[in-house]
Amino acid sequence: MFDGIVFASFSEFVQMGRYGFHVWSVYALFTIFIIANLLVPHLQRKQFIREQKSRALRDGQINGTASSSSAAPGESV
Amino acid sequence: MKPHRRKKLTIILFIATGLSVAIGLSLYALSNTIDLFFTPSQIAAGEATNGQRIRIGGMVKEGSVVRAEDSLNVEFIATDYTHDLVVRYDGILPDLFREGQGVVVEGAVDNGMFIASRVLAKHDENYMSVEVKAAMDAAEAARAMPAGASNGS
Amino acid sequence: MWLWFSKLGSPKWFYDLSGKWLPWLVAFMVVTMTVGLLWALLFVPEDYQQSFTNRIFYVHVPVASISLAVFPLMAIAGAITLVWKMKLADMVAKCAAPIGVWFTGVALATGAIWGEPMWGTWWVWDARLTSMLLQFFLLIGVVALRSAIESPDAAARACALLSIVGAINVPIIKYSVEWWNTLHQPSTPLTMDSNSANGPEIWVPLLIMIAAVYCFFVISLILSTRNEILQRERRSQWVMDIIASERV
Repeated sequence: MFDGIVFASFSEFVQMGRYGFHVWSVYALFTIFIIANLLVPHLQRKQFIREQKSRALRDGQINGTASSSSAAPGESV
Repeated sequence: MKPHRRKKLTIILFIATGLSVAIGLSLYALSNTIDLFFTPSQIAAGEATNGQRIRIGGMVKEGSVVRAEDSLNVEFIATDYTHDLVVRYDGILPDLFREGQGVVVEGAVDNGMFIASRVLAKHDENYMSVEVKAAMDAAEAARAMPAGASNGS
Repeated sequence: MWLWFSKLGSPKWFYDLSGKWLPWLVAFMVVTMTVGLLWALLFVPEDYQQSFTNRIFYVHVPVASISLAVFPLMAIAGAITLVWKMKLADMVAKCAAPIGVWFTGVALATGAIWGEPMWGTWWVWDARLTSMLLQFFLLIGVVALRSAIESPDAAARACALLSIVGAINVPIIKYSVEWWNTLHQPSTPLTMDSNSANGPEIWVPLLIMIAAVYCFFVISLILSTRNEILQRERRSQWVMDIIASERV
């Protein structure tokens, strides 16, 4: 299958004719785009769950119940 | 309906109507001038006045490119295969500028000649390898040969 | 029928179902993206005109064509929101807008990087590029409108309206290259003939990349819609159970 590779050497692959800069900046942007759009929602989810856990813990202490599944009455939003 | 709700609804309706009107009007205004360039036939028909800054688009006629030896000056013919227009340009041409390829030129008409201030290459929608292109050209030549012979031309 | 519809629109139903789909979607995306990228970068032959800048084609075209799906999606979701007040439809619409900003922005940027060496300019005010820029600003407008209106219901309705209006721009972008003179070339026609232009060696890797990028779009939309569901339903029991069971 390696016969089909159109570049004879690695440096040819990097240079992309003489358009290495253009080709690789497009692929770099594409990589950033994909990673950002998968990572950001993942981090937001973690952050949200952390917040909700600490809120549940705090409300639990105020109400004197340890259960995290009690509804949060202090919530106003 | 509560007053503040009524107010918000009014704002929403206002925004929506305003936007639709704005989009509609700009599309209407653009519909005449939205074309990026004139064709050589339009220039020949006198649609552009002398000295007016416009863009023209066409194909670079095969064999028409003449480069100066001591400067970046270049002269070529832009054609839409109905009318030709001589273009004169002093500057760096884009990588895709080739005879037989599309071109969009910015500049002004001056006594039937087009003085360019910027040349852009317009490539077509076809992608193929060097090998496929060579094979197609060879097939084209093989087809053209007997036809030309039978016509006796 | 009505029961089925309201079940379909229930955030919990969507959350559970999308949770089951996600691993498969991610697997499909990883496979198609790997194959597509390697194929496009290593195996596609040098173009007879454009040399190796044809590599940009395999990123630019998938991203740009999928960016055109965002407004129709938001318009349909918006119409459902306006008529049936389905919560899920509005959540999807809300999450699609910023993703659409990304897609349109990347399509514009990759196009500019490609145009700079090939056309001799990174920007020109032709119909295709201008209508695409309009889509970029319309999407930013939808995101801004959402955050500007305090009441979630009013924001949902306003964004739904703007999405329906903005969807008019999509056929304009699509057909701009046929209706007007543009610097941008028309869409590439695909042919089965491997001995002519645009044969399988050109479009097979393109279709693989389109599948990969479509899958990526769906995954990122699902991920942020799930976050939105958790956020809005945080006081319901099933969400609190999820939060309690999740380790951070």
